[in-house]
Amino acid sequence: MSPEPKPTADKHALPVPETAPGPTPAPVPGPGVERGDTLLLAENMTKQFGGLTAVNDVTFQVPAGGIVSIIGPNGAGKTTFFNMLTGLYKPTLGRVSFDGRNITGKRPDIVTKAGVARTFQNIKLFKTMTAMENVQVGMHVHLRARIAGSIFTTPFQRREERQSRERAKELLEFVGLRRPEALAAGLAYGDQRRLEIARALGAKPKLLLLDEPTAGMNPQESAELTALMETLRQEWGLSVLLIEHDMKVVMNVSDRITVLDYGEKIAEGKPEEVRTNERVIEAYLGSQA
Amino acid sequence: MEAAAVPKPRQDPVRRVLAAVWGNILWVGLLAWIVVYFIHNPTATLTDLKDGLSNGTIWALIALGYTLVYGIIELINFAHGEVFMIGSFITVALWLALGVTADSGFLAIAGAILGALVVASLGSASLNVMIERVAYRPLRNAPKLAPLITAIGMSFILQNVGSLWYDLPTSAPNLIDSQKVTFTVFDVGIKNSDIFAVAVTVPLLVALLWFVGATRYGKAMRASAQDPDAARLMGINVDRTIALTFFLGGLLAGSAGLIYALYNGTVNFRQGFTAGLIAFTAAVMGGIGNLKGAVVGGLLIGVVQAISDRHYGQQWTPAVVFAILILVMVFRPQGLFGEETREG
Amino acid sequence: MSARLQAVPRWAWLLLAVAAAVAFPYVVPQIITSLLGGSSGDDLFQASVETLAYVIMALGLNIVVGFAGLLDLGYVAFFAFGAYAMGWLGSGWFAEVDFHLLVSKASETLPGIHVNFLLILIAAAAFTGFFGAVLGAPTLRLRGDYLAIVTLAFGEIVPRVLENWTAVSNGRQGITPVDRVYFPGYGELDYPIDLYGVYFVALAMVVITLFINVRLRDSRLGRAWVATREDEVAAAAMGVNLVRVKLWAYAIGAAFGGFSGAFLGTFRNVVNVDQFEFGFSVFILCMVIIGGMGNIWGVILGAIALSMLDRFLLPQLDSISDTLGLGFSFTSINFGIFGFFLLVMMVLRPEGFLPNRRRRLELHADELDAAAAADRIAQPAPGEELYEARR
Repeated sequence: MSPEPKPTADKHALPVPETAPGPTPAPVPGPGVERGDTLLLAENMTKQFGGLTAVNDVTFQVPAGGIVSIIGPNGAGKTTFFNMLTGLYKPTLGRVSFDGRNITGKRPDIVTKAGVARTFQNIKLFKTMTAMENVQVGMHVHLRARIAGSIFTTPFQRREERQSRERAKELLEFVGLRRPEALAAGLAYGDQRRLEIARALGAKPKLLLLDEPTAGMNPQESAELTALMETLRQEWGLSVLLIEHDMKVVMNVSDRITVLDYGEKIAEGKPEEVRTNERVIEAYLGSQA
Repeated sequence: MEAAAVPKPRQDPVRRVLAAVWGNILWVGLLAWIVVYFIHNPTATLTDLKDGLSNGTIWALIALGYTLVYGIIELINFAHGEVFMIGSFITVALWLALGVTADSGFLAIAGAILGALVVASLGSASLNVMIERVAYRPLRNAPKLAPLITAIGMSFILQNVGSLWYDLPTSAPNLIDSQKVTFTVFDVGIKNSDIFAVAVTVPLLVALLWFVGATRYGKAMRASAQDPDAARLMGINVDRTIALTFFLGGLLAGSAGLIYALYNGTVNFRQGFTAGLIAFTAAVMGGIGNLKGAVVGGLLIGVVQAISDRHYGQQWTPAVVFAILILVMVFRPQGLFGEETREG
Repeated sequence: MSARLQAVPRWAWLLLAVAAAVAFPYVVPQIITSLLGGSSGDDLFQASVETLAYVIMALGLNIVVGFAGLLDLGYVAFFAFGAYAMGWLGSGWFAEVDFHLLVSKASETLPGIHVNFLLILIAAAAFTGFFGAVLGAPTLRLRGDYLAIVTLAFGEIVPRVLENWTAVSNGRQGITPVDRVYFPGYGELDYPIDLYGVYFVALAMVVITLFINVRLRDSRLGRAWVATREDEVAAAAMGVNLVRVKLWAYAIGAAFGGFSGAFLGTFRNVVNVDQFEFGFSVFILCMVIIGGMGNIWGVILGAIALSMLDRFLLPQLDSISDTLGLGFSFTSINFGIFGFFLLVMMVLRPEGFLPNRRRRLELHADELDAAAAADRIAQPAPGEELYEARR
């Protein structure tokens, strides 16, 4: 069974149904990573847009230090699910708790402050800002400068700005970008994706949500990204939640895979289990006549 | 897995009820406000209602222009008020040039009015089309900020054109003896100007509804409003359809200008700015993009103005109208007949 | 800019500009009088003081429109707040009250509230800044054109209310006379006869405004403004509190309006509603747009150009037209001229004369990398259009 949801005194929490849908996994510990507590727990997530149900009663969790993937055919509701987790959408039903705190329906900036950062399916960089400035915005939540400090440039503020620039450079180098002053709009597509990740890392997240990060990348770039994710998990202690279509990446890097189709969870488990699951194959290829 | 019926959203039914009340509080409030004054003084309020409805026809016609344009290109034609003003000016200029006065014969007057209707509405229509061509079309793909600013620029240019044309408020010849009370209903005097306003507006509205609903040009307009790309793929010339929309909006504004000249008695180059804001409030109140809403909004605003004039004084009425505009846009941007999901 | 020009350090340009501004009133008015005759030099001097005040307002509006990307069409309301603050705290209007603070010996004996100009400046800025946030708050969820109209409506309501609330504003007649600027120990300034003192006061105010603007632009808040303007959804996802960031933009922008408005209140020696019309909001907006939205120096140049045009050039043309017997009034078509500028600028060069590199990229899609351009104009992905959680 899924790990017991933490009991809560929050009067906005809706009761968890008796039966959890679908088989539930044990997180597979990767090399050098302890099996972690549940970092993110999403229960009975449902999203209705008028008459359309985009996500239907999905329960899901991410363990600390885990890399989890969500896959599914186009239109399965994966990005909608992400958007509910990060506060872009208010769930019609359901509850999200992160690191012990209830973040259901909270504003995106509050979710980021709690330790969740994300990238976007359609790259949403600040195109007219430089790479460095993009990462600095990512660091917004952790910089302490206030208005008066900004205007009168106290030593504290100056030092903080300097440190933020250095840290931004470090993050850019970490993802493989060497020109911090380059305009985001002028970067190659693959570099833009990397910049988005660097920007998200600027927020010092505990959980990184990546929405189709390898879209448009060649095999080498995808392999580099896979290595990056492993480094993040092992050296930084981050958890990663991934939406992906590139099955090679998914099979390589995931501890566990969840499959969505038409807004519902149809399978969940280790990569080998999911790959051979009939319902999954059916969802992607259509049923045999 | 068995697909259980998705339960109705249980998120806070209390909040949903509150939201529904809140969303409708404006109409309920307005209605209550009118009813209170009616109870307080029925005849005065009925007079205000009558004044409001006939004055409101002018706002309705202008509001339709805003709503037609917004429906098709999602742009507020800021210069639309000036198009109305130019229509009034054309009317007055024509009459002064022809030399018709209240004493001219019936045929002369009728001819002058019909002539002005044609000339002013065509003039305003062409002006509106020109504005679209010059100020909006080049910026079709620019961020929405840009055409709004050119619209303001255009509005100012036209106001100055007006000020050069008639720098002082100019009287229109009193061709229909506007203030004469022709008959009385429930103690309320119906003036010639009231009858005229309705007599001009109703056929125009009918014609508009027929055009938009039943002709293929109207269909092209509605298709382009819903999805310009799909419309293009169906062979509709969207550029021309947009121009047609502006033409129609200008026609209506020009006619409103004619009515205004006779209803109000004088024209001045600032009338477009004020009228524009009032009519825009009406359009938003009714639901921007919705034709029925523009008409209802125009009439409603007219009534609000009449009641406010009487009870608070004319100097406060603009503030009342603007307050309504702000309240509608902030709390119910979709207006009375607009859809809930999108922002207006 | 040519390589050689770029090699000149920033502060050298700044010093040059300040030196020019300081030297200006001693040199240029005389030149103008000798060229154009009459009182044209004095007119120029008078216009230049007003210009400095408008520069402050343009910089304030630039924060709202240029930095944060919020199209505000009601800036005149902030001018009004500042001016009336000056009128209430620095004149004999509230004659029943008797309150004096750091004012000249002469004013000490007058009835009414008389507070030192410098203190009024601070009070006006704070008061107006507060109202900036108050008026901005309802607009936070509105999209571009709706936002503009609501700010326009506020810009109309505030003067109308002030006009009709005669107990507070004296309606069209206005509050007059208004106290002069007074420095304890130095004495009262003697404008309009001697403009030098008041010119330098205005110049000092401009320098302060400029300093604050530059600092904000390069700060965490400044970055947050650009991010908000570019992509609200992404900005929020990066931890930017949109509400707070926008309210700060409104508040600070408004504060500068009040700051300058208070100055104009005393400089013109009258505070009446005729000064507060929608056209003024557009006038200041013109400066920001024509100069280059978001670019501080562009905005300053735009402000100087338009203000001198309106306050000096057009009236000079009028007197020339009078002497020539043409009878055509140039000042009466000033708004038509501004409207024409707006039209031409937005169609041909929307980023303004001295564009912010960012704005130019935003407004000229073809200059962006092809992939970037396609991304920007492409339809939002399903599930991305609505920042729905905040409805």
